[in-house]
Amino acid sequence: MTGILGNPLFIEGYLTTLALTAGAMLASLFIGTMVASLRVWGGPIMRSLTGAYVEFFRNTPLLVQLLFIVVLLAPSNLGVTRDPLVAALFGLSVYTGAYVTEVVRSGILAVDPRQIEAARTLGLSQAQALRHVVLPQAIRTVIPPLGNLSIALVKNSAIAGGIAATDLLQVARILEARPPFTFDPFIAALFAYWTITIPLAWAVSRLERRLAFAR
Amino acid sequence: MFGRLAAALLLAGSVALLYTNGFFQEDKWGPFLEPSTWRFLGEGLAVTLAIGFTSLILSLLIGIPLGMARADLKGPLRYPIGGYIELVRATPILAILLITLLGLPRLGVDIEPFWAGVVALTMYTSAVLGEIVRAGIDSIPRGEVEAARSLGLDYRHTMRRVVLPQALARMTPAIVSQLITLIKDTSLLFIIGVQELVGYGRSFFNFYGNLLETYFVIAVIFFLINYPLSRLSRRLESGRPPDERVAVSGEEDQVVARAS
Repeated sequence: MTGILGNPLFIEGYLTTLALTAGAMLASLFIGTMVASLRVWGGPIMRSLTGAYVEFFRNTPLLVQLLFIVVLLAPSNLGVTRDPLVAALFGLSVYTGAYVTEVVRSGILAVDPRQIEAARTLGLSQAQALRHVVLPQAIRTVIPPLGNLSIALVKNSAIAGGIAATDLLQVARILEARPPFTFDPFIAALFAYWTITIPLAWAVSRLERRLAFAR
Repeated sequence: MFGRLAAALLLAGSVALLYTNGFFQEDKWGPFLEPSTWRFLGEGLAVTLAIGFTSLILSLLIGIPLGMARADLKGPLRYPIGGYIELVRATPILAILLITLLGLPRLGVDIEPFWAGVVALTMYTSAVLGEIVRAGIDSIPRGEVEAARSLGLDYRHTMRRVVLPQALARMTPAIVSQLITLIKDTSLLFIIGVQELVGYGRSFFNFYGNLLETYFVIAVIFFLINYPLSRLSRRLESGRPPDERVAVSGEEDQVVARAS
């Protein structure tokens, strides 16, 4: 077991999973915020287009999305890259982005629009009202669900192995098939995932309780 | 205004990209007009639904008792079951799947990929359902339990006549959401070589060479199953006050059910 934990490939897999998760989370936050703004303030056409994005990506398997993206980015099509890790990052971001959109949208809608009117009456510009009145309240509503999405994202990142990206689980699979053919790589991977997901889950439930009291 | 322009450009750009890659060519879509194609993909869909349905039934049978045991404050199994549920929920399903498929034979138990998939999906889904059941039971105010007990009902009757009927109504939207997750996750069996909808799709495009189109059609088939379910979940949830909503953490489909 100790041999596995020192294995450079295993460590690389662990770091890949961390990087993949962090990168996809950042990208999906960007996507989600943009799309949610369009969804709320973009008018009827934008509302149905963004709605179609959210519903389609939410209700189809991540693996199928990843397989589609790999082919789409491959040299025979767009020719962007044949690196499965890039495709995985892209796919995880777009998938999670659909969920972030819904979370951010509900955060925006949780703030009473009359507060914007009140802020405008007090002389704030529309942008100032959004930044100083809506945003601080919306952030409070969205942080616990976003934390939850990050836990889901860590677990979903394992699906990247399905398109041969060398994340933690895929590395475990590779090492298990090599001498000395022990099962240790999978056991180590299990514990490695827990070092990410369990502290995250703990932090999210703590935050949830604190924000609930603060309200 | 700027955002709308950007989105319109993005949309036009992606359509153009797909067009230049032959996504709209007739010869790539032609095979989907043949009835034999749909019979073939239908066989794959039947396998997908069989995996999902079997796992759902088993998960309900295992998950509900798990959740009830965890919610029982004086029960001896409360902490062991709680620990088990938390560990399973902290693990990627694909990890459980591979460990089942490759680990059981090492213990001398031979298992087919199909059943390894059902075992793994059941293990994960029953843990989540257990947590949904516990959250549902815990959402019923303690005062109602105390009132029932002081009226002379024992634990079993309090549960069956007072707590569970109310808890069940609160749990249903979350259970439907988890069903969506389960149906999407059946596709993971493709990775271990089970011939389900995605696997049938691959055999199909190996013949016609229309990879993108086939993946798109498969996604649409999943969408046609899951979208009505997500509408149902939302409708069951609507009008329920936030503190009566049940959703478990760390599941993307649960998060959205709570958020919207």
